[in-house]
Amino acid sequence: MDDFEIDNNIAIRVVDVAKTFKLPHEKSNSLKGAFINFYRHNRTYEKQQVLENISFEIKKGEFFGIVGRNGSGKSTLLKLLAGIYSPDSGIIQVNGKLTPFIELGVGFNPELTGRENVYLNGALLGFNRKEMELMYPEVVEFAEIERFMDQKLKNYSTGMQVRLAFSIAIRAQTEILVLDEVLAVGDEAFQNKCLTYFTKLKQEHQTVILVTHDMNNITRFCDRALVIDKSRIIKITSPAEAAEIYTKLNQ
Amino acid sequence: MNRYITKSNKALLRELVRTDFKLRYQGSILGYAWSLLRPLLLFLILYIVFVKFLKLGNGIPHYPVYLLLGMVIWNFFNEMTMQSLGSIVGRGDLIRKIKIPRAIIVLSSSVSALINLFLNLIVVSVFMFINHVPILGTIVVLPLLILEAYLLALGFSLFLSAAFVKFRDVGYIWEVILQAGFYLTPILYPLSRITNLVFQKLILLNPIAQIIQDARFVTITHQTITGYSLFHRGWLDLVPFLLVGIVLLIGAVYFKRESKYFAENI
Repeated sequence: MDDFEIDNNIAIRVVDVAKTFKLPHEKSNSLKGAFINFYRHNRTYEKQQVLENISFEIKKGEFFGIVGRNGSGKSTLLKLLAGIYSPDSGIIQVNGKLTPFIELGVGFNPELTGRENVYLNGALLGFNRKEMELMYPEVVEFAEIERFMDQKLKNYSTGMQVRLAFSIAIRAQTEILVLDEVLAVGDEAFQNKCLTYFTKLKQEHQTVILVTHDMNNITRFCDRALVIDKSRIIKITSPAEAAEIYTKLNQ
Repeated sequence: MNRYITKSNKALLRELVRTDFKLRYQGSILGYAWSLLRPLLLFLILYIVFVKFLKLGNGIPHYPVYLLLGMVIWNFFNEMTMQSLGSIVGRGDLIRKIKIPRAIIVLSSSVSALINLFLNLIVVSVFMFINHVPILGTIVVLPLLILEAYLLALGFSLFLSAAFVKFRDVGYIWEVILQAGFYLTPILYPLSRITNLVFQKLILLNPIAQIIQDARFVTITHQTITGYSLFHRGWLDLVPFLLVGIVLLIGAVYFKRESKYFAENI
């Protein structure tokens, strides 16, 4: 295989990426604070290494899991992949369009009605009004909240909000999907819907990055999984082994 | 630049502006009517205080409308910069969780301000009609002046919104600067009231003063002092335009540099 061919089979390539956050000891987001600190010559902040030495590749059509405990750097990694953060060093190549959603219901406004939020959320996903009008009935039907669409979102229950957000998010037509903890909320019937959706994605050979704490889903859907702990990759391995390592980390 | 003007970005911009408008008059009985009522009431106040009580505009034809036009342009500049200033921080939820071109957020608040300006200009034109202001051929230049005002406000908006992410003082500083600017610009008083020619010239180097005076000149009365007449078509006449260019350039460059770190700094 020549280089060209290799490149075409890769959806995401991450080479030696590192990311640190500067956490100021005394938060100085005022000019006075900045001046005082500047003249004292003690602009003290803590450098927190969130990710280091991160290298991996995700192939096209792969269902790729990312597991790790809270605070291990998963979310930062996802935000780097999505282009929300920029890395301190290293290279991130994304081959194709990536769903920008890191969380469900981004941009949802409690003061707007369900309907208005669908359109706004759709626009954030890259759909224009015409396209949204076409898919609107499906979105509502999937979320099972037809009756409430003209009510303000602040009157929705958490479960209803998540269902609505999920129904929009799965309309995303991008080459790479990032799904972060989508199964955390929702009743059993809704979770089954999510699982059906995952199965469909898998059959269609979509490139998916799934971040979850549920090892059942990792072993059931993923082709490979990455275990991350304390800012570093522990191992990129089979889902079964990844689940095993993760369970050990939690003990 | 072209890569920002995609179909989906345009749709997003439209949706953000729509949301802005919906939320603005949320819970008010008159709703959108306030967009027109506000300039109407403003006009009433200006008319009573400055035309009837103080008689500031003696000698200037159609002074009430002249006054209102200046006020409307200033309000546009004021509103657009103040709203954009907090726009990036205000939309922190989006910035931290989704990748959209950051400038779209500033653009959406600028478009809201622009729509408001047009509504206000409708009110101005109604008063022009009532006041029997003759329609001048030079009015065709007005859109260009509005464009200039927009670009100036956009330059400041980009700079301020990015700076506000790091330093929240920027909001208070800008408020004071706007206050000072309001009194240093011939909005409430006619420029002819300032008898010192040097001060007159200095004032007209300020782009916002130049825009307001030129707008009055082209739409209401040619008896308006403009830089064009004051500087005798010298190179000083170009200074305000140059300043607009500089502000826009600095604003855009600073915004682009800082926008990479918005997500972590908010």
